[in-house]
Amino acid sequence: MPGRRSRSGRAVGAQTVIADEPISRTPTIRPLKAYAFDPTRGRTLGNYMTINVRYESLEPGPVGRYLSVIDYDATNNCYYRPVDLDDPGVLIRSGLDPAESDPQFHQQMVYAVASETIRRFEMALGRSIRWSFARWVRSGEAADKCLRIFPHAMQEANAFYSRDLRGLLFGYFRASTTDPGLNVPGQTVFTCLSHDIIAHETTHALVDSQRDFFMEPTGPDAPAFHEAFADVVALFQHFTFKDALVDTIQRTGGRIYRTDVPPERAPATTGAAIQAELSTTNPLVELALQFGNAMGMRKALRSALGTPPNSKQLEVLFEPHARGSILVAAVFDAFFSVFVRRTEDLWRVAQVSPADAKANGLHPDLASRLADAAVKTAENVLNICIRALDYCPPVDIRFGDFLRAMITADSDLVPDDPLGYRPALIDAFRSRGIVPDADSYSEESLRWPSPDNVPAGALPACEDLRFDLFRQDDPAKHERAQKHNGRTLHGYAVKNQSRLGLSTAGGAKIQARTFHEVHRVGPNGELVFEMVTELTQHRDVQVDPANPASGTFTFRGGTTLILDSKGHVRYAIQKPMSEARLAEQRAYQEQRAASVDAAAYLSARDLGDQLADAKIDFRLVHRGAA
Amino acid sequence: MAAKRKAPTRKITTKSKAKTKPKKSTPKTKPQPKPKGGGGGGGRGGGAGTPSGAISVRMYRVGFGDCFLVTLPTAGGPAYVLVDCGVHAKGDAGTLGQIVADIASVTNRKLAIVIASHAHQDHIAGYDRFGTEFATFQIGEVWLPWTWDPSDPQAVQLQGKQAALATQLAAHFAALPPGAAQRPATSAAAAAVANLTGNAHAIALLNTGFGVGAKVRYLKAEDSLADAAGISGLSVKFLGPPHDEAYLAQMDPPANQHYIGLAKGAARDATRIEPFAKSWRAAATRDLTLTKVDEKKLENATTSTVEDLAFALDKARNNESVVALFSYQGQTLLFAGDAQYGNWRWWLEHDQPGQILPQVRFLKVAHHGSINATPKDALEKMTDGNFAAMVSTQSTPWASIPLVPLMARIDQKTKQELVRSDWLHLSNANAPDPSAGAAPPQPANPPAGFTEGGGLWFDYVLKP
Repeated sequence: MPGRRSRSGRAVGAQTVIADEPISRTPTIRPLKAYAFDPTRGRTLGNYMTINVRYESLEPGPVGRYLSVIDYDATNNCYYRPVDLDDPGVLIRSGLDPAESDPQFHQQMVYAVASETIRRFEMALGRSIRWSFARWVRSGEAADKCLRIFPHAMQEANAFYSRDLRGLLFGYFRASTTDPGLNVPGQTVFTCLSHDIIAHETTHALVDSQRDFFMEPTGPDAPAFHEAFADVVALFQHFTFKDALVDTIQRTGGRIYRTDVPPERAPATTGAAIQAELSTTNPLVELALQFGNAMGMRKALRSALGTPPNSKQLEVLFEPHARGSILVAAVFDAFFSVFVRRTEDLWRVAQVSPADAKANGLHPDLASRLADAAVKTAENVLNICIRALDYCPPVDIRFGDFLRAMITADSDLVPDDPLGYRPALIDAFRSRGIVPDADSYSEESLRWPSPDNVPAGALPACEDLRFDLFRQDDPAKHERAQKHNGRTLHGYAVKNQSRLGLSTAGGAKIQARTFHEVHRVGPNGELVFEMVTELTQHRDVQVDPANPASGTFTFRGGTTLILDSKGHVRYAIQKPMSEARLAEQRAYQEQRAASVDAAAYLSARDLGDQLADAKIDFRLVHRGAA
Repeated sequence: MAAKRKAPTRKITTKSKAKTKPKKSTPKTKPQPKPKGGGGGGGRGGGAGTPSGAISVRMYRVGFGDCFLVTLPTAGGPAYVLVDCGVHAKGDAGTLGQIVADIASVTNRKLAIVIASHAHQDHIAGYDRFGTEFATFQIGEVWLPWTWDPSDPQAVQLQGKQAALATQLAAHFAALPPGAAQRPATSAAAAAVANLTGNAHAIALLNTGFGVGAKVRYLKAEDSLADAAGISGLSVKFLGPPHDEAYLAQMDPPANQHYIGLAKGAARDATRIEPFAKSWRAAATRDLTLTKVDEKKLENATTSTVEDLAFALDKARNNESVVALFSYQGQTLLFAGDAQYGNWRWWLEHDQPGQILPQVRFLKVAHHGSINATPKDALEKMTDGNFAAMVSTQSTPWASIPLVPLMARIDQKTKQELVRSDWLHLSNANAPDPSAGAAPPQPANPPAGFTEGGGLWFDYVLKP
């Protein structure tokens, strides 16, 4: 039945026009093709996948509500032609087919993967995202509030998020000529074709959208936390790829946490003769396989379970990715432990053991059920991680704070925890020596204290907050409500300064920086409204108090306040401006100064200037890894 | 083993020849020039020239660079260890000829151990310039960082990459117009690059043990030697350079990158990739473009400056430094080369700094007293008043070296037993006196235990 389709999305069947009124057929999804991993996996393991991106109308680029893909190449100083995803030729085949040589497929893939990552955040947080830079962009231009994606920004084995450029920058580079691993020697490798790298970088931008000062390098845990969190999101994305999951379950006999996948056929004692007799690495638990290979590492860039539990590692690992991998391993340890526990019944019902399964293969139904369980568990653990962001102190995040935030976030949402997510997390963190600032590792101690038992006594309610459920309808009204809430919260903070753990010394002014409304379904099925806000204060201090030439840095403290719809304080999560913290931060500043390449040859003032831009420079952080 | 073969060295300067040749037949003569202070080469039971007595260390005034001669008393007479012999081209005091002559005369052309800590001119240029001279020495062992080991594939690969990059960088800075070369960051980086290049010949000489049959050892962290170089009771523990993957990644010059400043002519075409066919390029007139300001911002964010690259490479080289902890006759001496943060960090995290550092009695301050070559936590672990320190330094070519608060703190920790090489006054623009406000202030006479010789060196005799 031939039909016509206009640019506005109306479809009109030639035979069936009865009325002139346009029929609205706005779709809910837009299917787009992408690599599940990266080009090196070829067609195996469900590597060619289709992502059902939440539908939005798009301009060529693609440019949508959150993202604008701009294909500018700064190395070659040129633009590549933008893809029009509404082109019928593209639409009719669910997006362009994967191809390394087609920049428009690259544009499609970064858009699809980044959109999907954003959607997962919004689902978990119960609100829509607003990019950090959009908070202070004054222009009314919607395009200025988009995150810009540059899929071929530069020739460099690197990709990074830059708040300053309001974008994600992906590089391309030549694979090692001597040790290219899975690549052709010297072939061009595109970081924007790695599903993991896209998800990782998008996550940096998403975390930055939640808190103003999270990106400040306040201690060794802060940059490591950002890397770990981005890796966690990227890795959990793997557990939504059902084809790859079922295949790995079949090959490992359900042990999807193994780093090696046994060969399809057992090789002879003389060694493997054909492909099917070779064991491979487990794609589910490794990140950026092609990138790692191209850099001559002969393996993926990082692995979810790269570090065996070892409580001493935190004392010696300071490189952000290495330190972050401890946190990643802890989260995945918990995830796999819960997965094993929740699938025990399936094995019993099927009357096989994982050992039999490995020898004889798994019944497809069992494999499918196991995959479903993995998907569900992964979704839950990822949600715990993302929701924990709301429960973190506003500045100077430490791994221990994150554990407490996860425990609190989850027990708020699921009080009974029948599958034991929280004990699994606690055990995994404890065995890796991640020490929270709490009395013990019991769940009760790890939960942030409710205001009734904080030392300074109960806090009064913050009255007169406006919750604005339908803000999309009227931006002006929303803006007014935000301003009003800002003033109200600030007044409240000033009045209760010391009880909120805020410093009263030295005239450090309090700022109510960000406030997010949270709407979600509570444990009893009722709709819950909450407000998460960060109250911060700061003062400038000298790096070395004894040396006036040493330069200054900004020392911050603050409190994350979680309020219910009546304005009652549910949690006041504090990071006070204590002398102990200041001393630690000073020591860390000195380390940072010492690790600047040019440190020896710069004057104190120039070195201070280099460090003064106190955001974590993701670019340098990433280069260290390569 | 002991076959003597002339090493294929460059010509030495006539000046040094004139100074050194006459010494050959007169082993016991006092070093040139004559010491003017008390003690010195031949006096009072100490100093590098004295065969008997305690362990001593002689620091030469080379300008910006390192040259240290350690004297170890043994039953069969003194044994000598030469730790580095080099000077930076832009901070050259012109004394290296006299210094090599002094070494020849003091040691009677017999060195038990020759160390080259790392491949920077300011540490090894002398081995090249006076290669023929050193080839007339009897040398027991030559100690080099593992990164020079021609039989280690990782080392070979690393050297290849670093050398290629250093050559490119040198060409870049050489081609800069005079105005551009004077920007502070550029001139600091150009000085770093000058130090990086022109070391191949010195490395070749050292790798072959000057052709005099010296045993060449390539050293890495966690190596240790007992009765080192046949000196009974001398044990040496190596704290750096490390040899693990994470460390190697730091050593690797940032590859796979296109450096805009560097890209002129052929080099550009060789490294730049055009990832897509020309037909994919868009016309400039379409809607979705950046403002010129944003294009520029993006370009800046995606290129490292050539200066950054120069500093990164310089740091990588410094971190290949051999860090040697000598223990002899109950004394502990720490020579840290130019080890910077990464090298120190590794052994502070992997070894037992809490046991090693409090025992140190002599410290050769690393990297001329720069900000990131003496970690605070390491210095603080050393015992107050238990050690003396020497720093070979001067404010040319980098005004930020040595770091004033660090010098002040070492002076405190040693209870004023720190001596700077630039206290030896030379009337030479390349080798200035300490700048105003330098720490510690120069005393009228060297601290107890130290003696000065001929404006050319300081000696320190370790207290028994």
